[in-house]
Amino acid sequence: MAHDRVHLNVGGKHFVTSRTTLANAGRGSMLAAVIDENWQLVPDAASNELFIDRNPAYFTVLLDLLRTGELHVPPGMLEKPLYREAEYYGILDHVKAARKGPLNGNRLDCVASISGRATGDGTAIRASPDGGCCVAHGSMVHVYDWLMEEQTPLTLDYVNVNDVGFLSSNRVVICTGERENGAGGMASFNTRTGKIEHKFQVVHDGESKNFTAGALASSDKHVYASCRGRSYEYGVGTWDQITGQQASFLYEGPGRPLGDACKMQWLPRTNLLLVANLFPSSDHSFITLLDSRTKGKVWSWTDAALRGTADEKIVMDTVAMEECSTVCVVNQFDNLGFIDMRANNQCVRWSYRYQPSKISEAEERFYSKLACSGSQLFSSKNDSVYVFCSPDWDAAKGVQTARLRRKEGGAISDISVGGDRLFVLHNEEDVFDVWETPGSSQIVDIY
Amino acid sequence: MNPAKKKNFKIEPFKHKVEMDPKYAEKTWKILEDAIHEIYNHNASGLSFEELYRNAYNMVLHKYGEKLYSGVVQTMTQHLREIAKIIEGAQGGLFLEELDVKWREHNKSLQMIRDILMYMDRTFVNNFNKTPVHELGLNLWRDHIVRSPQIRDRLLNTLLDLVRRERTGEVINRGLMRNITKMLVELGTNVYQEDFERPFLDAASDFYRLESQQLIETSDCPDYLRKAEKRLNEEIERVAHYLDSKSEPKITQVVEREVIGNRMRLLVEMENSGLISMLIDDKYDDLGRMYNLFRRISTGLQTMRELMTAHLRETGRQLVMDPERLKDPVEFVQRLLDEKDKYDRIIQQSFHNDKMFQNALNSSFEYFINLNIRSPEFISLFVDDKLRKGLKGASEEDVELVLDKVMMLFRYLQEKDVFEKYYKQHLAKRLLSGRTVSDDAERSLIVKLKTECGYQFTSKLEGMFTDMKTSRDTMQGFNATGAGAEGNEGPTLTVQVLTTGSWPTQSGARCNMPTEILAMCDKFKMYYLSTHTGRRLTWQTNMGTADLKATFGDGNKHELNVSTYQMCILCLFNQADRLSYREIEQATDIPAPDLKRSLQSLACVKGKNVLRKEPMSKDISEDDTFVFNDKFSSKFYKVKISTVVAQKESEPEKQETRQKVEEDRKPQIEAAIVRIMKSRRLLDHNNIISEVTKQLQARFMPNPAVIKKRIESLIEREFLERDRMDRKLYRYLA
Repeated sequence: MAHDRVHLNVGGKHFVTSRTTLANAGRGSMLAAVIDENWQLVPDAASNELFIDRNPAYFTVLLDLLRTGELHVPPGMLEKPLYREAEYYGILDHVKAARKGPLNGNRLDCVASISGRATGDGTAIRASPDGGCCVAHGSMVHVYDWLMEEQTPLTLDYVNVNDVGFLSSNRVVICTGERENGAGGMASFNTRTGKIEHKFQVVHDGESKNFTAGALASSDKHVYASCRGRSYEYGVGTWDQITGQQASFLYEGPGRPLGDACKMQWLPRTNLLLVANLFPSSDHSFITLLDSRTKGKVWSWTDAALRGTADEKIVMDTVAMEECSTVCVVNQFDNLGFIDMRANNQCVRWSYRYQPSKISEAEERFYSKLACSGSQLFSSKNDSVYVFCSPDWDAAKGVQTARLRRKEGGAISDISVGGDRLFVLHNEEDVFDVWETPGSSQIVDIY
Repeated sequence: MNPAKKKNFKIEPFKHKVEMDPKYAEKTWKILEDAIHEIYNHNASGLSFEELYRNAYNMVLHKYGEKLYSGVVQTMTQHLREIAKIIEGAQGGLFLEELDVKWREHNKSLQMIRDILMYMDRTFVNNFNKTPVHELGLNLWRDHIVRSPQIRDRLLNTLLDLVRRERTGEVINRGLMRNITKMLVELGTNVYQEDFERPFLDAASDFYRLESQQLIETSDCPDYLRKAEKRLNEEIERVAHYLDSKSEPKITQVVEREVIGNRMRLLVEMENSGLISMLIDDKYDDLGRMYNLFRRISTGLQTMRELMTAHLRETGRQLVMDPERLKDPVEFVQRLLDEKDKYDRIIQQSFHNDKMFQNALNSSFEYFINLNIRSPEFISLFVDDKLRKGLKGASEEDVELVLDKVMMLFRYLQEKDVFEKYYKQHLAKRLLSGRTVSDDAERSLIVKLKTECGYQFTSKLEGMFTDMKTSRDTMQGFNATGAGAEGNEGPTLTVQVLTTGSWPTQSGARCNMPTEILAMCDKFKMYYLSTHTGRRLTWQTNMGTADLKATFGDGNKHELNVSTYQMCILCLFNQADRLSYREIEQATDIPAPDLKRSLQSLACVKGKNVLRKEPMSKDISEDDTFVFNDKFSSKFYKVKISTVVAQKESEPEKQETRQKVEEDRKPQIEAAIVRIMKSRRLLDHNNIISEVTKQLQARFMPNPAVIKKRIESLIEREFLERDRMDRKLYRYLA
């Protein structure tokens, strides 16, 4: 068994471990490569050790992680150097997995509250696939990596930002209004360098046109955005993510709902694109699902027929819960509604959560925002986020199972789910909260 | 600080560090560069992985990622250029081996370089969307080795040459081939496809076009197919051994197209060895091979099917139209059954019971069986023969087998009502003469007909069986009264009471029976009418038989089994030894054709000539005279004198049956028209014709002209009327 034993000298401290323990790190890691047979190990003749020039304190913690699968962080140890060391050894994923579990709305801890330096109110927050996020402030977008370290702020020629979204952990797309001189529109940035990668163009008759990009969504290959231009650039554009070239454009005349859409969502299971045009950007709420290939409307819902009735309900936000085949909506009284997306011409099934009369008119209000993760629905109301869990087959059967609230921050203006985290953007101060489910093997709370 | 500047100069803080040791990056890179050289020179044993990893890490950390990355690209490129030269220099057969060895070495080196640069892969490459090191190494190998102008064509030609040599029977190093093709696949599917697969397929196409051309000129069809099959299997095996598995459908498609698809017509139509002669000679193996090979071509099986159908129809047409064969109906049907069996076996053994072939077979049979309008009659005669004697002693299973086959032929018939007509006649004869082999077999066939055509089709046939049974009971009752079996001297009477309508009776059958018989008949009539009121009995003398005891010269006694007509004639000779034709005709009042036939069988059949005719000749004329043949002798005591009946119908009889069938069809057609019009109310002529045909085709194919006549008749009788506006439309009158 001596063959299995490995003697390491990390920064002067002696460690004895086994090849099998180091192999737990995975072939793509430095620790596995260090014992690979390609590298004929020549230990120091005298000490019979392999030397690694790193801090032994962190190595102790990380070696234990490999041995036990659990992360024990001694009191007083800083998290950032630990992550840096883990990155050096190539086992950062192990640390992340041990620290953060899959998002579960009923077991959420607020792990950070980040205050920004921006002067204006944050208007929107978006989660990145690896747990980072970005916040749009007027004409700026502040980007935070998964350690909540702020990256270079992004602007697209200082035009007001309409929507922003991540293509991958280090690429974002920003949609803005147009400018006379061809500025504005839509572009992707590298968040690490803060540099622009592509400017997405709408080309008509071989000529690129000025346009205002509204809502945004992305599949694994394409970026979709609702576009408004002077003449023909009205509708939904599709671009290739890698090349930035326009792949197709679904034209609709001015005044038609698609170009004015204020919310879009990509549904990966069914390859459908949800496009919604809601109050206040239009008088009539309109939600449709487009087939990504044929660009045909396969499903749609509108409240045009219901407008002006006594207990008028205006849809303020929507999110499609693909797993439940349901489109969820929320109205001005924070009531949740559910529309079956398996058949056309469906009615909204409202769940009467709050009495409309209780809302006071005087107070400045932020309407409820929606986000979902699997069959869990998150809905903001005033200064809290409510979690609803529902059976897969019917989201309308969902029940409220948790309420997330922080003392500071005030009313909530936007929420976003991604990278196993929930981001909550407050209005009154420039602050957002990060909520996550603790990993099963994390013992010491490092915050 | 204004925001625009802030964006552009994020790097700034690190500038101080660099200034402290401006040669830091150069030094570190030198260490790594040397290490890469050592790795490529197989001299890595002196290297410390930890040190190299740390150096690469530091370079990336201190923002020299770009320098590191471009340095690696440059160094690897440099080494690959040298390797390319070595490979180019390899002589002849060593070329591939050198390439293989270098490829394996490169892979190992690449693995080690990647290990060192792991941190760069994770951070710098990821953040700046560069190609990861391993992929980079493969791309460089592709561009500098596999696609270098000196190697690319040579590699392709070497590979193609090896394949060609293997096709012509040489043994090649398959392991080496596999390594090389695997390398191409690893470099990317498009590399494999563009640099090897496509030219490989083109070469195969050329090779097989030439080979199949030579082969088809020198081989016969089975031989060709055997070789084609062998080639196909060889190619599949080749793919399994040393090509990418995705190539299999492509290369088989090439072989299929060149060897089979393009030669298909020539093959199936090859004289003396093509499909037709395989079918004729029952070459199951060859046919099976042809089926399996042709199945691969989209139109292959269709071609086979079409040819088989044409052949079947032609041979079938000859079979049913050959005047020689028409002489013996049993033989005729047996030939049909044999033909069917033959093709059933072929389809089962060679064609995997392919439904399309079965359908082709069925439609061909249906086509040619109905070419001969006598087919229904012949099939019924075949059944008659089997049930009379053919199945004597056969086991139940055998009987069922024969009956099932008959049913199969029956299914092909379009004029099922004609068959019914004949079947009824033949069944009646069998039942009345008591000569059926087995009641079970008879009933079994009727059940089959019933399942095939429904209750209506067989109700009358079943009625006949019921009549037979009730008649037996009636006779028992009659005999019990003592009226039937009185005295030993008098004749015994057995009566079968037949329901009118169920049986194919001929009205107008009349004759004067001998007085002693007549008395018995009257007694029975009285008995029957006393038990059943309101019925009428008519004697069907043309269908009866009689057993006569006759004494000839020298006291020779014989029992003669004769028909009722013959009995009447013979009884006349109790009073006289010599009678003229006219005297007999007058005395018996038998219809002339029947009388002639009866006399013929009594006087002209050798060994059974109880009468002598003067003058002697085969045919009966009205001037003949008949004399009791005193010298009659036979070695049997019982002599059966059968009436000379043509088993087959004679021409006039045929006409008669035909006419009867046509007559029977009229009400059926009318009923169908009325049924359809009642539900549709208004219909045009063509639609009526097609609907009527659809309704009736289970029984027969109605002739449109006949349907038109029936419609006219219905209009006359005011069931229908023509539309006033559109003369083509008919309207139903309720």
